[in-house]
Amino acid sequence: MANPVQADRPAATPDRPGRRPRPGFGRRDSIVGWLLIAPALVYFVAFLLYPAVAALYYSFTDWNLRSSPSWVGLANYTDLLFDDVKYPHFWKSVQVSLMYTVVAVPLTLVAALGQALLVNAIRKGSNLFRLLLFLPVVTAEAAVGAIWRWLYDPQYGLINVILGWFGVPPQNWLNNPDLVIPALAFIAAWQCGISMIIYLAGLKGIPLSLREAAIIDGAGPVQRFRKIIMPMLRPTTFYLLVTGVIAALQVFGLVYVIFSAANKSVTGGPEQAGLTYVLHLYLFAFRYDAMGAACAMSFILLVFIMIITALQFKFVKQEAA
Amino acid sequence: MSRKVAGAAAAIALIAGLTACGGGSDAGDAPTLTFWMYQPRTPQAGQIYEDLRKGFEKANNVKVKYVQIAKDDYNTKLSSAIASGTAPDAGVLDQPLVSRFALDKTTVEVPAGTIDESAFYKGALDTNLSEGKLFGLPLDQTTVGLFYNKKLVPTPPKTWDELKATANQVHQADSKIAGIVVPKGDGYGAWMWPGFVAGAGGALTDDASKKVLFDQQPAVDTLQMWVDLLPSSPRQITDSDNAFANGLAAMMISGPWDVATIKDQFPDLDFNVAPLPYKTEPAGNIGGENGVVFSTSKNTALAWKFLQYITSDANNAKFADAFGGYPTNIKAAEQTAATIEPQQAAFLEQLKVAHARPAVPQWIQVNDEIIAPALEKALSGKATPQEALTEAADKTRSLLGWNS
Repeated sequence: MANPVQADRPAATPDRPGRRPRPGFGRRDSIVGWLLIAPALVYFVAFLLYPAVAALYYSFTDWNLRSSPSWVGLANYTDLLFDDVKYPHFWKSVQVSLMYTVVAVPLTLVAALGQALLVNAIRKGSNLFRLLLFLPVVTAEAAVGAIWRWLYDPQYGLINVILGWFGVPPQNWLNNPDLVIPALAFIAAWQCGISMIIYLAGLKGIPLSLREAAIIDGAGPVQRFRKIIMPMLRPTTFYLLVTGVIAALQVFGLVYVIFSAANKSVTGGPEQAGLTYVLHLYLFAFRYDAMGAACAMSFILLVFIMIITALQFKFVKQEAA
Repeated sequence: MSRKVAGAAAAIALIAGLTACGGGSDAGDAPTLTFWMYQPRTPQAGQIYEDLRKGFEKANNVKVKYVQIAKDDYNTKLSSAIASGTAPDAGVLDQPLVSRFALDKTTVEVPAGTIDESAFYKGALDTNLSEGKLFGLPLDQTTVGLFYNKKLVPTPPKTWDELKATANQVHQADSKIAGIVVPKGDGYGAWMWPGFVAGAGGALTDDASKKVLFDQQPAVDTLQMWVDLLPSSPRQITDSDNAFANGLAAMMISGPWDVATIKDQFPDLDFNVAPLPYKTEPAGNIGGENGVVFSTSKNTALAWKFLQYITSDANNAKFADAFGGYPTNIKAAEQTAATIEPQQAAFLEQLKVAHARPAVPQWIQVNDEIIAPALEKALSGKATPQEALTEAADKTRSLLGWNS
């Protein structure tokens, strides 16, 4: 039989020869089943599938949201990739998002794992610390933006004060093009609460016997971390890596808030250093009247994310060892 | 990503549904006019809109229905409504959008004889132009001026030379204090820049003959002047939040919205506002909103009548004030001038010499994507003003298809 799930089921006696028995559901049950998933299905079709298909269609049109879209074939795609008069910052935005991903994702993973190890190690009050470390995730983005603008302030900012103790001269974090990406990535790492919780669950899932056996064999903490914890957490790390890369490539809200709040300008910070791919897309969709091109950008990103994800599945070790 | 797009499209569908429900008129025979606008900034402003609405309804025996939308979402929702065929009769529109909407025939031209053009500020009226024709009435206007800390700057500079000298003096007297917050090479800075260019007798474009002019001497001199201010006004100081209000910068370029904020949050700061310093002639930039009538409206005559009503001698001062800007109607502005706070007077004065943005549909994109980076290139010292602007002007010509 083709279906491996059905293959190992005990064969029910068929009522009529030649007809495969339906496992589980009768016809009436199937109506009930459809009714039960109907809300989710309607939601999926109306709010996810239809808009996605519509966006794909619009990506082949010139459309300003007001007049009817006109078909332009692949022009949006080719112009985005090759016409630097029409889209002078397209490749810059690709570069910004890639840079951000390369810096922010590892930083987030390291921060999350570090926090998880600490929370896992303490005996008293781990709930409190878990809560405190999780708070940045549930804080409204506008508030996060305001707080970090203040922390990064070139004159009064706490970050500069702390760096000053180590003799580092004050930096103009959000206005120096070279420092924008690290500054943003640091905020992302500070917001690593969800990854921390997932790592914590991973840590709890490592059998104690492994640790005991390692201790008996004379392995120190560093060796235990390298030879037991890291390999055992590999599925967790892989999951966080894949989802983290996808999220980082789509970063938008924070950049928008950080640069629009004080500068009254949404163009992505000094010298476009914070013009992430999705911010660029947003500007074309809602500020420059080019919804068609924006839809094309979203599909380019979709394909890119699919490729990156497939590469990760192929080349990154994901099984626990 | 498709999720985001899906979300946006879903939001559009939702809004379309909502406005479709909201559009139905309930009253019997009196025609209903639907007017879209921003949400009132304050309860008082909301009351002014209500009073104006009632006055118009009573005088004309009609109904006016306001749809008030948060400013940040306004353009998106309006576009969505237009896309779904549920545009209002009339509405408020940010100045640079007027020529865009006119070009794709979303809005209709102002019928001849609707207004007396000489009753309005020229700069504000010009923001309604598309290919030489009016497509809206100016509702309110705003501009930026020179905020100065009276303790550090006893008399405000009038000219560029005085501005540079003042900034120098301040910074030399105390190296922890910057002369002026120099605008940045971003979308906001690029919006303020034309006001200075006009102050050197220049313009960014000549729309009629389709020429890009911002690689010429007045524009280059303007950018050079901004660059020259930087040594006495280091970014390390001026990039601090509220550098002017905290007393870290002696001057800044900003608009009337900051007057209220500073008075409220920094009551100890002794400041005033002067018109922008200029090189050859007083000038300024302009922002604000216009009223337009949509081509799908079945009540166009009534819609223009309502726009006449809120831009009239009697009502424009109230309406513009509620909007947070200044009247566009000259007689109405005289009433405002009589009651205005000293810090507001300079803005109103400067609006007489304000210059509208180029009436080019893609202007916002040119502003953000071409001019802003060019300004930043010069301000960060990566190119001379002439190099940066020559490159930017060439790009603009290619983008707009203007070949001279």
